[in-house]
Amino acid sequence: VTSTPAASNLSSGLVRDLVRALGAGAVLTDPDRLLVYESDGLTRYRQRPLAVLLPADTATCARAVELLHRAGVAVVPRGAGTGLSGGAVPAPGTVVVGTARMNRILDLDVTSRRARVQAGVVNADLRAAARIHGLTYAPDPSSEAACTLGGNVAENSGGPHCLKYGVTSRYVTGLTVVGPDGRVDSFGQAPGLAGGLDLTGLFVGSEGCFGLATEIEVALLPAPGAARTLLAAFGRLEAAGEAVTAILSEGLLPAALEIVDGATIRAVEASVYAAGYPVDAAAVLVVEFDGPEPGLDEELASAAQLCRDAGAREVRTAATDAGRAALWSGRKKAFGAMGRLGPDLMVQDATVPRSRLPEVLRAVDEVATRHGLRVANVFHAGDGNLHPNLVFDRRDPDQVERVERASREIMEVCVQAGGTITGEHGVGLDKRDYMRLVHGPAELDLMDRVRQVFDPRGLFNPGKVLPDPSPPPAPSAGAAEAEPVAIPPTRPTRGAKDLAAVLEAEGIACAAAASGPPVALPDDVEGVRRVLRVAVRHGVQVEVVGTRVREAAGTDAGLRLSTGRLKGVDLHDPADLTVSVGAGTVAGELNRRLAEVGQWCAVDGPGAENRSMGGLTAGGDALALAAAFGGLRDQLLGMTLVTGDGRVLSLGGAVVKNVAGFDLVRLAVGSRGRLGVVTRVVLRTWPRPRAERFLSLPENDARALVPAVGAALGAPLLPASLEVGGGGDGAELLVRMLGSATQVDHATTVLASALGPRCRVLDADEGHDRQARLRPSTLGRSPCFAERPSAAGMALMIERARAASSGRFWALPDQGLLWAEGVEGHGTSEAAGRAAMLEEGLRGVFDPDGVFAGAPVRGKSS
Amino acid sequence: VTRTREEADRTRALAAEEEHLLSCVHCGFCLPACPTYVRLGDEADSPRGRLHLMRAVAEGRLDPASNVLHRHLDRCLGCRACEPVCPSGVPYGHLLERAREVTRAHRSPPLAVRILLALLARRSWTRVASWAARLVRGSGLAGAAARVLPRRWGLPFAMLAASAPTDLRAWPGDVTGAMGEGRHATGSGRVALLDGCVQRGIFGHVNRATVRVLRANGYDVLTVPGQKCCGALHAHAGDLEGARALARRNVEAFRIADPDWIGVNAAGCGAALREYGDLLEGDRLEHEARTLASRVRDVSELLAAAGPRGGAPVRVDVAWDPPCHLLHAQRVHEPPLQVLEAIPGVVRRDLARASECCGGAGVYGMTHPGLGGRIGGDKTSALLESGAELVVTANPGCQMQMGAGLLLDGRRLRVVHLVEILDESYRRAGAAAPGETHEERA
Repeated sequence: VTSTPAASNLSSGLVRDLVRALGAGAVLTDPDRLLVYESDGLTRYRQRPLAVLLPADTATCARAVELLHRAGVAVVPRGAGTGLSGGAVPAPGTVVVGTARMNRILDLDVTSRRARVQAGVVNADLRAAARIHGLTYAPDPSSEAACTLGGNVAENSGGPHCLKYGVTSRYVTGLTVVGPDGRVDSFGQAPGLAGGLDLTGLFVGSEGCFGLATEIEVALLPAPGAARTLLAAFGRLEAAGEAVTAILSEGLLPAALEIVDGATIRAVEASVYAAGYPVDAAAVLVVEFDGPEPGLDEELASAAQLCRDAGAREVRTAATDAGRAALWSGRKKAFGAMGRLGPDLMVQDATVPRSRLPEVLRAVDEVATRHGLRVANVFHAGDGNLHPNLVFDRRDPDQVERVERASREIMEVCVQAGGTITGEHGVGLDKRDYMRLVHGPAELDLMDRVRQVFDPRGLFNPGKVLPDPSPPPAPSAGAAEAEPVAIPPTRPTRGAKDLAAVLEAEGIACAAAASGPPVALPDDVEGVRRVLRVAVRHGVQVEVVGTRVREAAGTDAGLRLSTGRLKGVDLHDPADLTVSVGAGTVAGELNRRLAEVGQWCAVDGPGAENRSMGGLTAGGDALALAAAFGGLRDQLLGMTLVTGDGRVLSLGGAVVKNVAGFDLVRLAVGSRGRLGVVTRVVLRTWPRPRAERFLSLPENDARALVPAVGAALGAPLLPASLEVGGGGDGAELLVRMLGSATQVDHATTVLASALGPRCRVLDADEGHDRQARLRPSTLGRSPCFAERPSAAGMALMIERARAASSGRFWALPDQGLLWAEGVEGHGTSEAAGRAAMLEEGLRGVFDPDGVFAGAPVRGKSS
Repeated sequence: VTRTREEADRTRALAAEEEHLLSCVHCGFCLPACPTYVRLGDEADSPRGRLHLMRAVAEGRLDPASNVLHRHLDRCLGCRACEPVCPSGVPYGHLLERAREVTRAHRSPPLAVRILLALLARRSWTRVASWAARLVRGSGLAGAAARVLPRRWGLPFAMLAASAPTDLRAWPGDVTGAMGEGRHATGSGRVALLDGCVQRGIFGHVNRATVRVLRANGYDVLTVPGQKCCGALHAHAGDLEGARALARRNVEAFRIADPDWIGVNAAGCGAALREYGDLLEGDRLEHEARTLASRVRDVSELLAAAGPRGGAPVRVDVAWDPPCHLLHAQRVHEPPLQVLEAIPGVVRRDLARASECCGGAGVYGMTHPGLGGRIGGDKTSALLESGAELVVTANPGCQMQMGAGLLLDGRRLRVVHLVEILDESYRRAGAAAPGETHEERA
C-alpha cells in the first residue's frame, strides 16, 4: 500500500532518447514529481512509476513506446486518473504514458455525425462541442467533467443513461492505436462490414492491456430536444424496485432510472448538499425521459402513475432545467456527501439481473452489518448496476481489512445472483482476484492468450485485469468439460459418406445435403464438441452453418455443422429485459415468444425472420435497426462458444453492463464461425413499442433520393431504420418509426416534412410489406460499399453500384452501407498488415488446429 | 538544532491538517477546473496533485525543502476554481496557504513580492508608495513604460496605467433625473467599508463610488479608523504570521465600530476577511474574528439585498468577468448579475470561460511570465471575442490584470468595477446623496 521507491531507474541513454523524441518538458523523472502519479481515483494502491511521459500526438507517443519496448520497459497508460479500479496505478518498474496533452478535438463532422478526437479530450468537452451542432455524445459516466475519451475506451465506460443509450463500445467507430511495440495501427468499423474480426470492439474495455488508443472516432446522436424528470419517494426499497419493473413493462424507456437508498438520502440531507429528499423514505427513484418534446409529458404522467401504483408516498416532477437539477442534486451529490461520513469511501461496483436487485441489496446490507461497516447504496436501477459505498478510515488497518472482506463477499453475493463483479469501473488492480468468481480457468486462460496476441512480451499495463496464475486445480469430475480435446494423429480424409457414418456412430444426426459434404446436426454442446473432435481426427475442416442446411456450401470444408437443433428460449424474469436463447432458434420464433411478455429483440434485416440467432451472431450482420438500437454486438450480453479445440466457454452474462475482463463476446460477433461455434446467446430485449409507422418515398432514379436521404439523416430525431432499395424499375426510401403514439405522430410530421410532399405514410402492415419487397432475400457476405453515413456518402455509393452492377441494390444510409447484386464485398477477411496479423493470432488462440473453414460465402443476392 | 525543530514544527503544521488533506478522495473532478492543469497537462500542476504533494509532506514521504513541492505550489494561481467542483469539500485555499508557509521557510519569495508585502503591511509605507504610483500613473509615465519595456517588465506599469479611472460619461443614455425604487430609502443597515490598501491607494474612485451607491440604497456608511491591509496577499504567499498580525488589527478596529455589515468591494479582501476565523484559530481574538467574518459582505450582495435601485440608462454592452475570489472563494454568483440587471441599458454579453482566472493572482504575471501570459492572453482573447464595449469586474487585481493585458495588446477596451457603472447610472439620475457630489473625472 505504501509507495516504494522506483525498483530501478531508467538508463540515462533511454532518458536521453526519450527527451529527444518528446522534448524535455514531456519527460518527467524527478522522483518527487512522480509522487503525484502513484495513484488514480482509487487511492488504496500506490506505486511510483520510473518516469512519466506526456506526448502531444500519436507520432511522439508511438516513438516513446517504441523506445520503451526496445528497452523492455513496461508502459502504463493514463488518462485523467479518475478510474476507480486502480487501472492506471503503475506496476513496479513501469513508465506512465499520459494522454493529458493530447486534448484536441480533431474533427467534428456534423453531416455524418462523427467526431474524431485525441485520447485526452474530456468527455464533457466533447459533449459540449457536439451540443453546438444539435448533437450529443451519449455515454456520460459520473466523472464526465474530468474523465477522458481514452479512459472511456479503455474502461468501456457506462453512466446513468446506458439503459436507453448503451455504453461506450456502441459509439466507438474507429481507433488509432499505438501498439505495445510502438507501431501505429488503425482499427476500423464494426464486424460484418469489412469481414474481419471486430478488433475495435475487442479493444474497447481492454483496460490499457492491448495498447494505447491515441485517436478515437465516435458516432454522435441528435441531442434530445427536451427532458422531464420525476422523483418518487418510497417507504420500502422493494416498492421502488417494483416501480422500475412496472415502468419498463409498460413499454416506457426512460433515459435514466436511478435509486438512492435511505442511508444515502440521510447522508445527503445531513450534509451541505441537502437536496430536500424526504429523510424518512427508504428509497427515492429518479426517472428521466428525454427526446423530442411531444410525448414526454405523457410518458412522465404514466411513469408517475406507475410509481403511485407501486406505493410511492410522494411524486415530484420537473420540466425546467433548474427544477430537474434540483431533483437530481441528491443523486449527483451522493458521492461527496458520503465522502464526508468518514475519511475514506470505497465505491463498489457490480451488476446483477434487475429482478434480483431487492434480494441482493438485502444481502449487501447484511454483509456490511456483519463487518461493522456503514453501507449506502446508489444505483443505476435500470441496468441492475449497484454502487454500494462503504465508509471507512484507511489509517485503521482493521477497518481496511474489514472493507476488503466485505467487498469480496458483496461480489460473491452478486455473482451468485447471476451478476458480475464490475459493471462500469473495470477490473484494474482492485478486482483481479475476483475474476475467478465469474470466470472459469478456460475463460481466463483464453483472455490471457488473447492479451498475448496483442502484447506478446507483456509490456502494456502489466499486472492488471487477469489474476495471477493459480496452481493447476486438482482433477475433478467437472474438469473434463473444460479440458481441450486431445488431438489424435490425423488420418487420411475419408469420403462424405464415411464421415456421416462416423458421426452417426458417435450419436450425431446427419443431414444429407443436396451437394457437398454432410451436415452434422448436434443436439447439444457435447454434440458440438464431438463433431469438432471427429473433424480434427479426420483432418477435415468444419463450416458452421445456422439453419441454411440446404444451401450450397460456401467453402471447401469437408464437414458442415448446423446449430439448427440447439433451440430453446429461456426468458428468466421478463423484468430483466434479457433473454437466453439457443443458437438454432430463429429470430422470428424468438420475437413471437417475446411478444407474449410485451417485449421484442431489435434484430432486423433481409431474411432475419428466418435466420437463426447463431447465424446472425456469427454473421454480425449490419442490422437495419443498428443506428437506433445498436448492432447485434451491442445487444448481445453473453454467449456460449465452443472453440476449435473443444473448450466450452461461457462469455459475458445476463447483465446489461459488464466489464469483467476482455470482451470476447464482441470479438465473437461477426467472426463468421472462424473462432468457434456459438451454441447459445444472451440478448438484451426491449419493451415493445406501442406504435409503428413507415414513410415511403418512391423515385424513378435512385439518385433522386439522395436529397431526401440527406434530409432524413439531418432530422433532429433518429428513426428506427432508414433503408433504400432500388434497381432498374425505380428506387424507394423507407423510414420506420417506433415509439408511443404521440412520438410516432411527431416523428411522422418531422420526417414527412423533411422528405417532401411526395412521401406516403404507411401503417405497420403496409410498411413491412414494402420492406419485404425492397430487401434482397440474402446479402453478400459483406457490403460492397461503405462510406460515412451522409447524403454525400450515399450518392457516392449509388454511383459506384451503378458502375459495378446493373442489378438491384439495398442500402442502409444511416450506417453508410450498400449491397449491390452481383458485386462481391470488398476487404473480405483480407485485413491489411498488422490487423491481419492480429486476426491470425486470435484465430490461433480460438482454433489452434485450424478446424474451422474460412468465412463461408452466402448465397448470392436474388 | 533550532532550525531542525522549526522545520519539524512546520511539517507538523501540515500534518495537523491531516483531516482536511484526507478529505480529498482523489476523484480528479478538480482537474478540468484548474487553469494550470488545463494548460500544462501535468498532474503535479493540478489541485489533486498539489494536495497529494502536501499529504506526502505530512506523511513524511516528501522533504518539505523539495524543489518540486515549491515549484508546483508556487505555480498555483490560488484561484480556488477547484473548490466549488469538489464533491468532498476540500478547503484547498486554506491548505495551500498552510503548505506555502512550509515551503516559504525553505525558500523565500522573490524580492518584488517581499517588497510588496512589506509595503502593504504598514499604512504609512503604503501611503507613500500609492502617492508615487499615482504620480507615475498621472504623469503618463506608466503608459509610456508599458509601451517601451519588454512585456515582462512593462506589465507592472501597464497594470498601474489600467488602474486609472475610466470616464463612463461618454456612453449614451438619457439623463432622467429620477431614481428607481429601492427596497429601502434608508435603514438598510450600517455598513463599515473596508477601504483596503491597493483600493485606497490607487482605486480611490472605486471606493468613493461604493460609498455613494450604498448610500443611495439606504445604507449608513461608516468610516472605520485604524484598519489595515486585510492580509490576503500575505496569506496567499504563506506569510501567515504577517497575515495574522494584520487580521488582529482589523478585528479590533471593526469590533469598536460594531457595524451590521462589513462591506468589501475587493473580492480578494472579502474572501480573506471571511476566513479570519480560521486564520486566527486558537488566537485570543478567535471569537471576535469569527463574528467579524460572519458580517462580511461583498458590496454586490449588499446592493442586491437592498434592491438595488435602478438609475438612468447607461447604454453599453458589457462582459462580466467574475473575480475568482468572489465566485469560487466566496461563492457569490447572483448578486453582481442582479446589480448589472438593475442598470437600464446595460446588456451583458456572453463571455467564454468567464469563470476562469484572468491570470492576475497578485504578481503571477511577473513571477510566471510564460504561464501567466498564456492565461492572461486567453482571457484577453475571450474579452475581445465577447464583443463587449466595457469589461466589468469586482476586484482591483483582476481590473489591473485584464486592463494591462488589453493595454499591452494595444486595445482600447477598458475594465471597470461593477459599482462604477451603477454609480454612473445614479449620477445621470441625479442621485447624489446629501453631502456628496459626483466627482469630476478628467
